[in-house]
Amino acid sequence: MILTIARKEAREIWRDGRFRGGAVLVAGLLAVALISGWQNYADISASHTAATEATWERWLDQGEKNPHSAAHYGVYAFKPMTPLSLVDQGVNAYTGVFTWLEAHNQNPFEYRPAQDGPALARFGQLTASTVLQLLVPLLIVLLGFSAITAERESGTLRLLLGSGVRRRTLAAGKAAGLALGLSALIVPAAAVGALALVLAADVEHGVSVSRVVMLASCYLLYFGAVLGMTLAVSAWARSSRVALLSLLALWIVNALLSPRLASDVARSLHPLPSAESFRTAINDELRNGIDGHSPQDTRQQALRDSVLAAYGVDSIPQLPVNYAGISLQASEEYANRVYDRQFGELADRMRAQEAVHRTLGIVTPMLAVRSASMGLSGTDVFHHEHFVHAAEEHRRLIQRILNGDIEKNSRFGETYTVGPEVWSQVPEFTYEPPVLASVLSKEAPSFMILAAWLLLTGLAFGLGVHRVAPE
Amino acid sequence: MSHMITASLHEQQTAASANFLLTADSLVKEYGSFRAVDGLTLSVAAGEIYCLLGPNGAGKSTTINCFLGFNAPTSGTVRVKGLDVQQHAVETKRALAYIPELVNLYRNLTGLENLEYLAALGGGRAKSRSELTELLNDAGLQADAVNKRVGEYSKGMRQKVAVALAVAKDAEVLLLDEPTSGLDPKASNEFSALLGRLRDRGVAILMATHDLFRARETGQRVGIMNRGRLVRELATGDIGHADLERIYIEHMHD
Repeated sequence: MILTIARKEAREIWRDGRFRGGAVLVAGLLAVALISGWQNYADISASHTAATEATWERWLDQGEKNPHSAAHYGVYAFKPMTPLSLVDQGVNAYTGVFTWLEAHNQNPFEYRPAQDGPALARFGQLTASTVLQLLVPLLIVLLGFSAITAERESGTLRLLLGSGVRRRTLAAGKAAGLALGLSALIVPAAAVGALALVLAADVEHGVSVSRVVMLASCYLLYFGAVLGMTLAVSAWARSSRVALLSLLALWIVNALLSPRLASDVARSLHPLPSAESFRTAINDELRNGIDGHSPQDTRQQALRDSVLAAYGVDSIPQLPVNYAGISLQASEEYANRVYDRQFGELADRMRAQEAVHRTLGIVTPMLAVRSASMGLSGTDVFHHEHFVHAAEEHRRLIQRILNGDIEKNSRFGETYTVGPEVWSQVPEFTYEPPVLASVLSKEAPSFMILAAWLLLTGLAFGLGVHRVAPE
Repeated sequence: MSHMITASLHEQQTAASANFLLTADSLVKEYGSFRAVDGLTLSVAAGEIYCLLGPNGAGKSTTINCFLGFNAPTSGTVRVKGLDVQQHAVETKRALAYIPELVNLYRNLTGLENLEYLAALGGGRAKSRSELTELLNDAGLQADAVNKRVGEYSKGMRQKVAVALAVAKDAEVLLLDEPTSGLDPKASNEFSALLGRLRDRGVAILMATHDLFRARETGQRVGIMNRGRLVRELATGDIGHADLERIYIEHMHD
């Protein structure tokens, strides 16, 4: 009987010209977003691959020079695009895509489309995630707002209940029917998405099927929750008009207001320092020491004394190693402590902001799906930090190799130059993104929140249908 | 437990041994302080059309709603095929069909699709599309209208679909609430003829109406309700139209 009701619901939906028009529009936008996302992904991935190869060749071909000059010459590290970024570009537009790995400095990431593009571009970018998170729910609302109210208003509810149809059967049939109707949009869109992902997989990195499945699951949970909310409101509302207005208000809160409110709340609870004050704090600590009372020259003096004592000599020229290499490396390691502290604190604040967003998903499912979608697409802050950490580790490795070469192979005060035999000791930078398990453990709360939304809205719908009576 | 339920069912079904498929016994329905039905007792046998006459607010529709299980009696009982409607909601609804004043169907579906859907939900024997088409034709729906969307149907055409539904689900009881209101005389006559055919098949029919002429023409018995009470029961074979009208008016002034 549930199937009978579901089939009839789907048939009516497909015959509804408004739904057909809306579905074609949303499916079209989704297809365009996926295709342009794929195009963008393919272009950027190709650029990154070319730039990565070029920077490595540039490093190897830099000629004869002092290793410390080479450390300042540096290399670039490019953050690889994940194939699923064609679905959700997450924070990529704000975090930048490459950084310069050089001596002494942990540099910020460069090229942020949101910063470099025109201001209006921030509002107008069409991505698959925008369509999935904003427009599909709107279509669900328009599709289902009168699911129960119309039965009551048109008198068909009396006919159904008078035929002995149980309310819970009606509820299940309605939900299944709307889901079936919606599948007319979702299935073709998923096919386009799958095709885009297959094409994207050929460009740079393979697509993790598990990630795709989890991403699809999170969106299905989200759509289920929105469908449950729509049906629940339809079951409890006095009329179709009230149901529609209530649902549009909820959609505005969920889709438009909640992300901005969540950002404001997160910012006020865990404010981030400005770029200028952040850089000033780092420079202060480098200059005056982490405790504020250990200036650079004092630290250098202490280092020299301890090195001389360790080797049992009175002066630097008597050392069997080049003190310049030791000093440079010690300076690097002190700076690393400063960077770990300052960037660590910054990362803690960003993670705290993310946690606020996720927690507020309890209030609106949009925040939970957004977090899960970015996480699974590999475009959230967590993935960015993971790359930043890997790039920084590589920068430190380069410095250790080059400073070690100075220390072991040169004499204090002499002119020392080396060539490709040293540059090739530096391994090429490669990056492995976080494994799915770590992403899932981070996003588990988002999934639980979405599941709770589905459960609660389903329950509210069930209760609403239980009390609904013919007019 | 299951033995007790079986025994209870048996006792209730025994009560229907007199072949009354619909019975109301001292039925009272109150909405707050307002008593919509006041101690109504009536019964309708298989193959009988019983017409409930009365003005607006007399309690006719409330009585129908009690038989449909939409309204729970404040006191007294209503039974379909001997089964208490409140205790056996699904079984009793399976046995009956209901035609309201305005038959509301799904506008985006055709007459045949509506019948197919509602008959499947009604729980009767599954019927093929050709069987259902034949039922619609038997109910008087033109062949070319069967596959038109119901949004284009007149009130009379929709009632024909409802009658076909009653037949399709093998309903033993038919409840009608002002079915001929707003129909032209020809459509009204056709509808009465349809009811007659259902009666001849042994269906027990309870029709609420304020159309005295139609009630006398169609029903075997007429019950007059006023202010929630059944004030008079008459066999239509015993009286003429003028007598029925006179008696009806007398009771309205009580």
